[in-house]
Amino acid sequence: MASVCFYFQVHQPLRIKKYRVYDIGKNSDYFNDDSGSNLNNQKILKKVAQKSYLPTNKLFLELLKKFPKFKISFSFSGLILEQLEKFSPETLSSFKELVKTGKVEVLSETYYHSLSFLYSRQEFRSQIDLHRKKIQKVFKVTPQVFRNTELVYNNDLANEVEKMGYKGILAEGADYILGWRSPNFVYLPKGCKKLSLLLKNYKLSDDVAFRFSSKSWSEYPLTAPKFANWISAINGNGNVVNLFMDYETFGEHQWEDTGIFEFLRALPLEILKHPDNDFVTPSEAVERFRPVAELDVPNFVSWADVERDLSAWLSNPMQKDAFDKLYDLEKVVLATKNKKLTEDWRRLQTSDHFYYMCTKWFADGDVHKYFNPYDSPYDAFISFINVLNDLKLRLEKITKPGEVNKIYV
Amino acid sequence: MKVLMFGWEFPPFNSGGLGVACYGLAKALTNQNVEITFVLPKKLDINVNFLKVIFADIDKIKVKDVDALLYPYITSGQYLKDRAYLKKASYGNNLIEEVRRYARYAREIAKKEQFDIIHAHDWLSFLAGIEAKKVSGKPLIIHVHATEFDRTGGGNVNSEVYEIEKEGMEKADKVVAISNYIKNIAIANYGIDLSKIAVVHNGIDAKDYVYHGNYNSGLHEFKKLGFKIVLFVGRLTLQKGPDYFLRAARKVLDYNKKVIFVISGSGDMERQVIEEAASLGISDKVLFVGFTRGEELKYLYHVADLFVMPSVSEPFGLTTLESLVNRTPVLISKQSGVSEVISHALKVDFWDVDEMTNKILAVAKYGSLKETLSVNGSLEVQKCTWDEAARKCIQIYQSLGTSY
Repeated sequence: MASVCFYFQVHQPLRIKKYRVYDIGKNSDYFNDDSGSNLNNQKILKKVAQKSYLPTNKLFLELLKKFPKFKISFSFSGLILEQLEKFSPETLSSFKELVKTGKVEVLSETYYHSLSFLYSRQEFRSQIDLHRKKIQKVFKVTPQVFRNTELVYNNDLANEVEKMGYKGILAEGADYILGWRSPNFVYLPKGCKKLSLLLKNYKLSDDVAFRFSSKSWSEYPLTAPKFANWISAINGNGNVVNLFMDYETFGEHQWEDTGIFEFLRALPLEILKHPDNDFVTPSEAVERFRPVAELDVPNFVSWADVERDLSAWLSNPMQKDAFDKLYDLEKVVLATKNKKLTEDWRRLQTSDHFYYMCTKWFADGDVHKYFNPYDSPYDAFISFINVLNDLKLRLEKITKPGEVNKIYV
Repeated sequence: MKVLMFGWEFPPFNSGGLGVACYGLAKALTNQNVEITFVLPKKLDINVNFLKVIFADIDKIKVKDVDALLYPYITSGQYLKDRAYLKKASYGNNLIEEVRRYARYAREIAKKEQFDIIHAHDWLSFLAGIEAKKVSGKPLIIHVHATEFDRTGGGNVNSEVYEIEKEGMEKADKVVAISNYIKNIAIANYGIDLSKIAVVHNGIDAKDYVYHGNYNSGLHEFKKLGFKIVLFVGRLTLQKGPDYFLRAARKVLDYNKKVIFVISGSGDMERQVIEEAASLGISDKVLFVGFTRGEELKYLYHVADLFVMPSVSEPFGLTTLESLVNRTPVLISKQSGVSEVISHALKVDFWDVDEMTNKILAVAKYGSLKETLSVNGSLEVQKCTWDEAARKCIQIYQSLGTSY
């Protein structure tokens, strides 16, 4: 049996506008860039909806109706749902329609697509809570399986998530955590009793997400029959093939003219041609397959970059500084019980802000540069840190009046 | 492979980046087994024999010096002053005449010497290169470090100089530009065909620029008191944008009083810049240290928290690399050649004083920003070597049919 488990990440951050020292104390709208630049969240969201979400949703709806066995799952950040409500309600409706088919599972994550687990368990739990409520409100379902931001994962995280009552969790099937083992089985996280771990088959996932249109790839062009054959080959030495990727793969990272939609359209039929293949959602996978072994992951693993660790967000001094300075405010911010202030502080926790500050490979012009809406990681840091100063100023105004001039000594 | 190179005086006798570039490139070419006959103008009555000292370790470079009153960045006005001072009858009546006189000497040298290719650096030597090509029939490479548009900031372009530059580029078999920035000027302002231009970025001999700790000054005392030091190094001319630096300084001090601005350099705007600092009311926070070189300059790079190069027009900007080898972060003008090769830098439009201020303040306040720029920038500068520039030049020599 080879069951294909699709999970697509649907997320767009609220990018911080170019925010300079002069804005501190004068302007507390951090996310409302309205220029033609790639910091304009509304502009980006509409573009991605047109190029990716809407056509892909339409296609999936057809496929779900046509193939009874076909199933998929999504994880939505709270921020994408907010933005869809505001800027593209028709896209949100089409997602709701998919979920209504009953064959689309919605996963749990942190509302703000944050790395809060690395700093504060309490904040981590609060954001998962907020997210659950949002998903219940929008989709009328309650998530049963958790996936952490950017598939950041380790033993401690699994144990925390088990305590929260989830039955499954997703992670990257990185070689260095698996060793000789295969990602195509369900595992038990070390220290857990009931939580099942699903690992991304990064080879097959990245064949679609990254290599699909790469002409220098020896398997180019990738066709649905070829890909289905690779899946079928797993029969006999695996239970579940976890294909995890960003939803923007379809139409945005891989443009329409690469043939990605034709590929997707043909895929369910090709996969189902093999009688032992089918599709599962993450919940079904953890119910159907018993863990084959315990997996010990003491250090953090993620799905980012070749390193598959935390270095995309937390490797240089400015990333660490920004992260520390942000979370140092936790107690004071939460104590204010000020809704707007708390929301802004949480919006600054989105992992993307730290990703934009990454200097790894910057000079080589790789994927980090491609996905960076700022001119450089340094510009990303400067806007972020200036915003944080404004937030501090607001905080000081509420907590200790008269001490607002501390920002620049 | 033998090259007849028309270049300029080497450090420490040069002024500015041209001599440094000629020295770095010539040395690296020699290390890659290119034989160079190096021709340069030299005021014979001033520095006798320095070349023998300089070249003691490079026996493949043969030096031919010509007694001529030419040096990088000389202007017509300055020429007349120098000539009057030196009172030597053999020098030309004006700068252009002197350039032509130099070219006649070049022709005589070219007749006698054996070489495969001619390589001439900047306009003062272009006519010399052309003459050498005429008598030898060998291919000519014109190496453009700066154009008349850069030297004048776009205004008051001297038409005679422009014509010589244009003629040099037109008669050359290949034009080497030290940046895409220069390449674009050669295309737009000189009408040179894109395919004829190759870009060879400058490099740096890091070991010659690293501070070794044998110089000190009161600036360290300021640092101990918590002051941040922001450094400008360059000729005080329109092209280098010292006025933008001062305006940014003024704004920075509105937000952060614990910053000291150090200006190293001299030039035609010196008086104006000093007066402007006074009229902006920041004389106490702006230190003019004059033209510095050697250990003193290395010390400045070392002690600074941030180096700023706000050039209006900067064909390359070697000072940026000098700062980075001392691990000091840089804030550079987008209008510079060096910004094509250094990505781990803060970048601004030279006229955007507000943004310059925003960035200076950020570096002054956040050690993590400074540290990240410093670590990454000092790694990146290691890729900017004269060996790499020499390798590209050799490829160009070969593309012109010269066997290696």
